[in-house]
Amino acid sequence: MGKLIVVACGAGINTSTIAEDMIRERLDAEGLEDVTVKRILMADIDGYVGQMNLIVSMMKIYREFDVPQVKGMPFLIGTMDEKQALLDEIVELIRA
Amino acid sequence: MDFVNTAVAWFLGLGSTVMVPIILIVLGLVFRAGLSKSIRGGVTTGVGLAGLFLVVDLIIAALQPATQALADRLGVSLALVDVNWADAGIAWGWPGVAGVILGIIVVNLILVVLKLQKTIWTDVWSYWHGSALGGFVWGLTGNVTYGVIGAVVYLTLGAWMSDLTAKRYQEFNEMPGIGVPCGTTVQASLFAIPVMWVIDRIPGLKDWDASPEGLRKTFGLVGEPVILGAVLGIIIGIAAGYNVQGILALGMQVATMMLILPRMVSIIAEGLIPITQSVVMFMRERFKDRELFVAVDCAVLLGHPAVMASAVILFPLSVLLAAVLPGVEMLPIASLAVIPFWAGAVVPYTRGNVVKTVIVLLLFSIPFMYFSTLTAGEHTAAFASMGQFTEQIEAGTQLASWDMGGDPLGFIILGIYKLLGLSVL
Repeated sequence: MGKLIVVACGAGINTSTIAEDMIRERLDAEGLEDVTVKRILMADIDGYVGQMNLIVSMMKIYREFDVPQVKGMPFLIGTMDEKQALLDEIVELIRA
Repeated sequence: MDFVNTAVAWFLGLGSTVMVPIILIVLGLVFRAGLSKSIRGGVTTGVGLAGLFLVVDLIIAALQPATQALADRLGVSLALVDVNWADAGIAWGWPGVAGVILGIIVVNLILVVLKLQKTIWTDVWSYWHGSALGGFVWGLTGNVTYGVIGAVVYLTLGAWMSDLTAKRYQEFNEMPGIGVPCGTTVQASLFAIPVMWVIDRIPGLKDWDASPEGLRKTFGLVGEPVILGAVLGIIIGIAAGYNVQGILALGMQVATMMLILPRMVSIIAEGLIPITQSVVMFMRERFKDRELFVAVDCAVLLGHPAVMASAVILFPLSVLLAAVLPGVEMLPIASLAVIPFWAGAVVPYTRGNVVKTVIVLLLFSIPFMYFSTLTAGEHTAAFASMGQFTEQIEAGTQLASWDMGGDPLGFIILGIYKLLGLSVL
């Protein structure tokens, strides 16, 4: 059964694309081929409840879901070390 | 020299969908993004541009006759076609785009090193606001260098505005270290400060609010771009006196535009990722030990529930306002898409109050309505100079938008070029 990471942002134009790109690259390197990364609008997130296993959000979320959420801001503004740390955390959460 | 001129003319003659990928691939290599990533990015952005122009063709074909019929029927002048984010096509497709990218990075680096500026311009995508203005200046003056200067000035002023607003954004959205220098968005924040000062001194208004969650649930469907587009298309069709078939067709065409236009814009943005990541790395590694604001896209401000709640109220109100204000010649349709971004910039100042956000932004939209009308000439000239939509433009179609055509700061910069007597229109 494959897993789903949703990358949520406000417009689905720019910020989530950057995060999606980096996560996908890392998952490929880890050989986690059954994990799907999907970029979504925050407004559409209810449609993914029950399917998603992890939320990476590019903005502040004002709600709780039954799956873990991580803040994706370091993908936009972080140094190389901060990005690696966040990717490590994502890989660990999706493997769990 | 003749050879150089011929080569430049040949290159510009390739058209933006060929020229831009080449420019971006070269820039990607300059910023050491890697060959395969640079090629993929450049070609992707070219595809996004080509797609964007296809969608705008569709918008013009559907909306030009409809707004014309509407205007004739109501006896008002609403002849301009709203293309809004098609301006991103000017931004990434006009001949000065490479100059804008390199120019703002150099100017920003100098100002940050001299400690005159705290925001580092890492969000390459958002250069588009300045670059589109540069394209307008080019359309106005016929001169690429003037366009690049106008664009770099606009983006530099944007970074200073970001310095003024960054702390509030960071605190309200819990995002330490960010800044948002995006064009019209950051101006909405600065506009909100004095308006809020007045509102908070009016008894009754001071404590009035509406529940964002309730509004979102009630009007939620209309807040979705496709539904909003369909509803607007149907209303315009009815007002224009179309038959049922025509009304429904226009509803679907506007719905298509509302969904597909931002999608095309997102493809353009996707292609810029390799360059963006290189620029972020370059700037962050160099200024590790100083407190700086790292530029991010205004989309990060959209999280608060009051943002969409305010937007769904503002959509119909601003269309009505544009229809009744004398002298406004563009009915906002595609341009409505920018309202949530403005709301994102204003809610940190209204503390998430929906009523106050709506008041601030309804006032803020008025100059956009007039400026978009007043800049339609250079806006259309920029598209024409790029060789886009030439048939429609020769047939008399005029293109306008709020973002960037209605931008107040951009309007002032264009005005300066006009005052200097540099207009060739």
